[in-house]
This record gives sequence, C-alpha cells and structure tokens, in this order.
Amino acid sequence: MSEVPQNASYMVAAYVITAVILVGYAVSLYRRTNKP
Amino acid sequence: MTLAQKGRWTTVVALVCLAAVYVRALAFTPVERLQGPAQKIYYLHVPAAIWTETAMILVGLASIFYLFLKDARLDRFAEASAEVGTVFATIVLTTGPIWGKPIWGTWWTWDARLTSTLLLFFLYVGYLLVRGAVRDPGLRARYAAVLGICGMCLVPFIHLSVFMFRTLHPQPIILKPSAPSLPGSMLATWLFSLAAFTLLYVGFVIQRYALSLGREAHGGGSPGHV
Repeated sequence: MSEVPQNASYMVAAYVITAVILVGYAVSLYRRTNKP
Repeated sequence: MTLAQKGRWTTVVALVCLAAVYVRALAFTPVERLQGPAQKIYYLHVPAAIWTETAMILVGLASIFYLFLKDARLDRFAEASAEVGTVFATIVLTTGPIWGKPIWGTWWTWDARLTSTLLLFFLYVGYLLVRGAVRDPGLRARYAAVLGICGMCLVPFIHLSVFMFRTLHPQPIILKPSAPSLPGSMLATWLFSLAAFTLLYVGFVIQRYALSLGREAHGGGSPGHV
C-alpha cells in the first residue's frame, strides 16, 4: 500500500496566500471608503 | 446603517465563515490518499474559480443592460464585480500552480484551461485599466462594457476547455452532469467554502459599489448623466 504524499507545505502556502489576499483586499476597501 | 456599513458587516461575517472553513478543512476533513494534504487546496481554489467566472458573467450581463438602459447603477455594479473578480482570479492563479507543483510536477503548463484562465485575468486587469484611463464617464462606461461582454463570452470556453482539449487540468468532479465524485465529508467542506466565498463576493461588491457612489457624490461623474 502506497504512503500518503508529504506535501503539507504546499497546502499551508496556498491557505496563507489566500488569507493574505482576501484580508488585504478587505482592508484596502475599508481604507478607501474612509479616506477623507 | 449605510450601504458601506452593510457591506463591511457582510464581509466580516464572511471572513469569520472562511476562518471556520479553514478549521474544518485543515483539522476535520480527511486527507486524500493519492494527492496528500495538497488536495485540500481544492476547498479554496474551486470556490474562488467559480466566483471568478460568475463575477465576469455578471459584469457582462450588467454591461449588456447598461448599453441598452444607460442606467449608472448597472455600470457601478459591473465595476464593483470586476474588481472583486480580479481578486478571486488572483487567488485562482496563485493556488492553482501551488497545487500543480506537487501533483503535476510543474508550476505551470500552457494548456487550454490554464491559458484561458490567465486570459480572463488579463481581461479583468484590462477592464480596470480602461476604467482608470478614460476620463469621460459615458465613454468610460461604454468602453468598459464592451470589454465586460468579451470577458463574459470567454467564460463558457474556460469551463468547457477541459472537455474540448486534452489538458493536464482535471475535469470537474462537482460541476458536471452526473453526481459529484466526492465523499460526503469533503463535499460538505467544499459547500461550506463555496457559501463563504459567495458571502465574501456579496460583501466586497456592496462595499465597492458604495465606494463608487461616494466618489460620484464628490464629483467623480456618473455615466448615467452623460
């Protein structure tokens, strides 16, 4: 029976990048809306 | 409560839901035996891809109706949907290669699905550049509408490209005529993620729409008045 591939670092990278993009855009919208 | 505040609260709720998706996907969803943990990228990549394509379809439909009705609200919505679609397309084009490297052995390949998705991203960027470059609000809305309709026409090709050509990209395992080929727990996580991304799209678009309204109120010019 084959072993499960050890590639969790790719998964972590994808999850971190997605969070950074989404939170970054949310912050950008907040700052642009509240710009004086 | 103002429109911007409604959008902000929707986004906050969506981000909390997304955090719950992260916990469920990483801690409570089984690891796929052949692909390993990298398969869990699926729970972000596919919902983001669905909203990348849906956002462009909505841009195209709003653009068609704008050209007939000249209603500034349609142009404003198209602009908001295009900006949010660009954000989701960025997620698709970053998570895709990160998933591809351990499974396919390469970050990128110029096959039909990947290349057409990249083209859609360029259309999104072009759409936003046109909006930034043309000063006249009426002309800006019309030029952008044409690009939005072109983008909408590309979406069915992207979805069908894996059936029409031999590609490295796999065929859909959920959005297909037969039943989804995912175990129940994985399907539940994916549906939860799709709901979170849907809420994110709604929250972002409401906020972006409110931002355009605010700019027009401060003299930015509305295409409906031209």
